[in-house]
Amino acid sequence: MTLPFTSADWWAVAPVSIVAIAALVVLLADILFARREQRYASIVIALAGLAAAGFVAARQFGHDYNAFFGGFLTGGFATVFQEIILIAAAGSVILYAALGPASRIAGSIAIMLWSACGAMLMSGAANLIMIFLGLELLSLGLYALCATDDRKASRESALKYLILSSMATAFLLFGSALLFGATGSVELADLANPAHVANPLFWTGAGMFLIGLVFKLSLVPFHTWTPDVFEGAPLPVTAFMSVATKAATIAVLARFIYAALPVSVGQRLLLPVWIVAGVSMIVGNVGMLAQRDLKRLLGYSGIAQVGYILVALAGGTPLGLRYALYYLTAYAFMNLGAFAVAAAISPHGEEGADLRNYQGLAERRPWLAAAMTLILLALAGLPPTAGFLGKILILASGVSAGFVWLAALLIVGTAISLYAYAKVVRAMYAPAETGLPEPRPFVPLAWVSAAICCAVIVLMTFYPLIPSNVLPLAH
Amino acid sequence: MIVLATILLPLVAGALLFALPRQDRVLSRAIGVVVATITLVTVIAAGTTSEWSFRWLSRPFDAAFHFGATPTSFWIALLLTVATACAIAASREARLRDFVAQLLLLEGAMLGLFLARDLLLFALFWDLMLLPVFFVLIGWGEHPATAWRYFIYNFAGGLTLLLATAAFGVIYGSTDVIGRAAGPLVGAWAPWIYAGFAFAFLVKTPVWPLHTWMPPTYSGLPAPMVAVVSAVQSKAGLYGFLVIALTLLPHEVHAYALALMVLGAVSLIYGAVIALTQNDAKRIVAYSSLSHLGLIAIAVGSGNPIALRGALVYIVAHGLFSAALFLVLGYVEEREATRLLARLGGLGWKNPKLAGALCIAALAALGLPGLAGFAGELLILIGVYQAGYVWPVIVALIAIVVASAYFLRLYQDAMNGPEVPDVPVRGDLTWPEALAVAPLLAALVVVGVYPAPLLHP
Repeated sequence: MTLPFTSADWWAVAPVSIVAIAALVVLLADILFARREQRYASIVIALAGLAAAGFVAARQFGHDYNAFFGGFLTGGFATVFQEIILIAAAGSVILYAALGPASRIAGSIAIMLWSACGAMLMSGAANLIMIFLGLELLSLGLYALCATDDRKASRESALKYLILSSMATAFLLFGSALLFGATGSVELADLANPAHVANPLFWTGAGMFLIGLVFKLSLVPFHTWTPDVFEGAPLPVTAFMSVATKAATIAVLARFIYAALPVSVGQRLLLPVWIVAGVSMIVGNVGMLAQRDLKRLLGYSGIAQVGYILVALAGGTPLGLRYALYYLTAYAFMNLGAFAVAAAISPHGEEGADLRNYQGLAERRPWLAAAMTLILLALAGLPPTAGFLGKILILASGVSAGFVWLAALLIVGTAISLYAYAKVVRAMYAPAETGLPEPRPFVPLAWVSAAICCAVIVLMTFYPLIPSNVLPLAH
Repeated sequence: MIVLATILLPLVAGALLFALPRQDRVLSRAIGVVVATITLVTVIAAGTTSEWSFRWLSRPFDAAFHFGATPTSFWIALLLTVATACAIAASREARLRDFVAQLLLLEGAMLGLFLARDLLLFALFWDLMLLPVFFVLIGWGEHPATAWRYFIYNFAGGLTLLLATAAFGVIYGSTDVIGRAAGPLVGAWAPWIYAGFAFAFLVKTPVWPLHTWMPPTYSGLPAPMVAVVSAVQSKAGLYGFLVIALTLLPHEVHAYALALMVLGAVSLIYGAVIALTQNDAKRIVAYSSLSHLGLIAIAVGSGNPIALRGALVYIVAHGLFSAALFLVLGYVEEREATRLLARLGGLGWKNPKLAGALCIAALAALGLPGLAGFAGELLILIGVYQAGYVWPVIVALIAIVVASAYFLRLYQDAMNGPEVPDVPVRGDLTWPEALAVAPLLAALVVVGVYPAPLLHP
């Protein structure tokens, strides 16, 4: 028996394959190395695999790959999403190294890499089956990862995530089935046929599909699971989830908006999505105000930040996708940086996310406090950071697409968010309370990771990094 | 290139100060004064001819890192560098190294704002200049809530500015427009864009009823910082009206001129009346600022060329005398550990230098002929009258009379009258302290006698 795939197909999925193989090698190393060396061996192997995959993906950029009979498209914006996911995985793996002893580390890292594979598949998925495959690969890994900690909250978060996320998947799957029923094809490209507009099955299917995606993006009203899951999951897993899941889902949404929807349907069907994005910007930012835990705070912040990214996609202009990618890249570095700082100060691993630990941090760890300040300012959209430029690009894109009301909601949401972010800044620069646990001594990997994130966030203000030819390849 | 160096120097120096030992008090202030003086020299050296530009965005609109002084911003930049040098020289705060660093960062951010020739860059520095003040408010301020009020009010203004800038860029195609003879923006969106700009500018100035962040901020900030904020940062909004709104959205400014003048007039009277009732010396000056800047808002609204020239003179004059007033009141507070007028008194008998400094600054503020305040006020009143508006002139004259009352009351209660008994050792101004305010007082006299360079930029 010969497989009907060509070498071009294999080359198109090479980045995904490399990550998958790296995960296997990590598991192998767990057996081969002595206990003391296991941790570093698995981290080095994982980072090498991610770097290799990133290199291959970068080589693919700018060429049009259409693999597996049109089921997997890459080389265009999918490659940018893949790079973001690889960066997220690398940042999270480094956090494993930074956080100190943990059992089952090789297994956790392997699962995380496989989850990243799923997210990368989603980035390039161009048919409904591939989307489902990627999503399940991503999610199954995350269910397990959420439970890797011994705390009760960790198991609770895994269960919560499993149940709610499965429901979202059910919506997505049912929607996919209806779309298939309505159009007779699983290819996203075939959906873009105006003939389907009259079919109510098509509308129902597309609506349920979008509900599934909105759920995965944790937008209002399907957002309540996010802070709980973020709080309970181990720190590196939260960091990974907060970036990779959102990136992969936005990739699917972008493909759906840009390549799949008939023009006559697009804005009518998507209006609820934009409304949801607008409400999320307000609810997410208001939700942040009352939080006392950094992970929960970033969970709510993520809800709003995804709303901002969707404003860039609204209107479906090619530039909008570029700006969404720009902001997503910046957001990835902001979140990874924030988690790196959290890992660097956490006194006993997981409890470090409590905001009380940040009281007076500026006196005890001035550099970490400065890094965290920069990151929070970036999340709030203040200069000199990529958050500022990203906001203005998103506003410009929203305004030029005629979504002034979304731009106005973004402004209101940002104004609210400032209070929540600046509250953390104020706590760090206020005099320290007594009796708080001492932050950990110098943790090189976390510090380096935070420093890189800060440098990227600042540099991106001056050099918008996203290559200009992202969209022509999307179609 | 010189103009770029002007902006980068204080920013880099401010960041590098953190490398000094934390307890350092001598070196950081010396470096701060030297750096601020060098920027003063480079601002003059750069003049209005030095420009520097670097492409930033080409889509969705053209934007550039484009710096260069306009004839208006040159004078404000000059005022900024003088005020910062004096403020750093006068700094005696705790954790002096960090404080001086924040002052330098503030100077750099504001130099960027005033020297920016690109609207997006202007918006960037607009937000950036909030941060040093916020950090000083949380680190040195009197009450935490003040920091929030300052930050959130001004950030809200910054956001509407950002939205308006984005819309402007999309419609106009470029934001690299400040100080160019480009045509005005036209279209159905122009009034909304103007509204976005105007909100930001009015919050920053501030103008009644958007002023509520200002009195607590001014009284809560340490004297050297508030001297710079009141002297220069409060001018950012007026500068925006003069250089951005009037050239790019002239029709909208004209169409809503009456609203602007009414807000200005209300601020003028409201600020003056409240200043009369205050007991806290810093708050008196804060409300007087509200009142004085209302006059400039009226000048902008009138659109008369003489009034606009007068506005620039008055911007510089107000910067000089408010910086001097705050610095001198800072000295008073340092000596007396209070700034409540009820608990001050008789300081002038034994401290002639202190009294003299406060006297000159207060006289300039109440508009005594021969000092800078008078030149600006007179030009604005003439211009507004020429433009055919009589009622604002009457309102302004009333406010000016009230200004004499509250400034004389301030001087009277602090310097004259019986000495307060339970006082430790009082000392007159030391030489370093006197030298820190001397340039401001000298400039008040120079501009008052010879304002011509500001009138013919």
